[in-house]
Amino acid sequence: MKPLRIALTKGRLERDTVAMFERIGFDCTAVHEKGRKLILPIGDNQFEVVLAKAADVITYVEHGVCDLGVVGKDTIIENGSSFYEVLDLGFGKCKFALAAPKGTDFYGGYASKTIATKYPNVARSFFEGKGMDVKIIKIEGSVELAPLLGLSDAIIDIVETGSTLKENGLEVIEKVCDISARLIVNTASMKLRKGEIDTLIGQMEQAKETE
Amino acid sequence: MRKYHKITPEGTKDLLFEECLTHRYVERTLADVFSSHGFHEVITPGLEFYDVFDTESSGIGQEVMYKMSDKRGRLVCMRPDSTMPIARLTATRLQNLPKPIRLYYTQHIYCNNPGLTGRNDEVMQSGIELLGARGRRADLEVLAIAIEALSRCVPNFRIELGHAGFFKAIAAQLPIDDTVREDIRQYIEAKNYAALDMVLDQLGESKSVNAMRRLPRLFGGEEILKEAAQFCVDDSAFQTLSYLQELYSALTDLGIGDHIMIDLGLVQRTDYYTDIVFSAYVEGCGDAVLTGGRYDNLLASFDSPMPAIGFAMNVDAITDILINNGKGKKAPTVDVLVHCDDGYEMKAICYAANLVGDGLRCENSIFVTRKESLDYAKQMGISRVDFVGEKIETLTR
Repeated sequence: MKPLRIALTKGRLERDTVAMFERIGFDCTAVHEKGRKLILPIGDNQFEVVLAKAADVITYVEHGVCDLGVVGKDTIIENGSSFYEVLDLGFGKCKFALAAPKGTDFYGGYASKTIATKYPNVARSFFEGKGMDVKIIKIEGSVELAPLLGLSDAIIDIVETGSTLKENGLEVIEKVCDISARLIVNTASMKLRKGEIDTLIGQMEQAKETE
Repeated sequence: MRKYHKITPEGTKDLLFEECLTHRYVERTLADVFSSHGFHEVITPGLEFYDVFDTESSGIGQEVMYKMSDKRGRLVCMRPDSTMPIARLTATRLQNLPKPIRLYYTQHIYCNNPGLTGRNDEVMQSGIELLGARGRRADLEVLAIAIEALSRCVPNFRIELGHAGFFKAIAAQLPIDDTVREDIRQYIEAKNYAALDMVLDQLGESKSVNAMRRLPRLFGGEEILKEAAQFCVDDSAFQTLSYLQELYSALTDLGIGDHIMIDLGLVQRTDYYTDIVFSAYVEGCGDAVLTGGRYDNLLASFDSPMPAIGFAMNVDAITDILINNGKGKKAPTVDVLVHCDDGYEMKAICYAANLVGDGLRCENSIFVTRKESLDYAKQMGISRVDFVGEKIETLTR
């Protein structure tokens, strides 16, 4: 049997997931000593871990070249979905929020607003839900700059502690939604390898509770 | 300025040689299966009026349709699905035919996918529709044909069976409006347990809430039906389960028990599907290769209410699976290259026609000298060259 292939979002989610795997009792030596390798065996060769950027985790799982993936809810909302989202892993917690310079009345006035964000789809659907016409500008780096430079009225971004916002004179106006790491599964894999995947989901759910 | 004359639009591609042959092989195999069971082929236009697909329940978003306007400014689109055009055709030109009507098709559908996802915008689908028949016999017939069609192409498939009525029966017991119902349906379809729990937590505790919570996990073997039975509060949910049990048992009699699964969380397009739904998966393809179900309400939206059931198979996906497993069809080699000396062109053409008549695959050489023809034959791996001049000489390598 081919090993189940799991795509992990490189960085913090990868470390948290590996810690979870170790609590379950999988041998993750290969991941700790990975060097530059991107496909690594874990456990008793039952699984293969693939390290990828967040949005790519979704792409690999959607196409079925990876059976499972660990990715933030933020990436899922931004990149759409045709896969199963089976488990909230409980780590990588933060939120999407709408933030504007302190003291501004964002919803006041009739002038149309400009929003800077790294997540145009999230921003678009948030304001569509409100029936509000806004201009969305995609920014790649530190989004907090945009309102400071006068490019936008507000931003939609990931907020963890809120300290970056504070230091730049911004404040949260409204929470858009909560974010945490999710376990996603390819639709066909879920059907073709139900037994193995069910077992793994069960193990991860348990490891989450004993955390 | 021409900029795009050497490429094809994103989501489309040229099919060459092995790919093309395998593609045609799959099409023919499926057509054979369908026609051997009394289904008749139809071809519907690639362009249809947008209105054909603009029913409340079609489940096809307008953003995925390729649209344009016709000469009178009316909105037309490139067929995103074949069932709705067939429903249109059945409701109009075929309305006086005795029922049931059995139709099959092999044609492209078009879907305007988001860019850079590697998905195909042009997909060859082959499928059947059995119109004007309801009940166990019709359902079993279509399922059995789906299984036969899959077995003929890709023996290692899994087919899963669900019932749109189960979700509807449970949803009807919950104090929710259509928006929440649609949210719940989407979360079940995506097996998004976390989001589903969040919505359901607001609805208090009840047997039906627990059933919804459990629904995305209700897939597996026959035992799923027993588990689901615990959640039933009314007759309609029970009936869907016992009907699925009936179909499941009947299909296991075909000796393919381990290929069949039950998935009560199959809730895609629940406004479109009214009864049983099914899809099939094959190792090596990340998506369903076959989807289908019963859609008893669709024909009513074309003013000709009648029950109907059908399925569509993704010919492209099956072709890819065959090729990736080394089961692609290889291009046949040419048996003979026919060279002609100057002035014997027509003699050579007649000679080649005779060889073809004898069942050989024969290629005409356009080269002037015998040496060039020989070199060409060597390059192309053609083992025999016939030289047509005053005499006919055969050279076999």
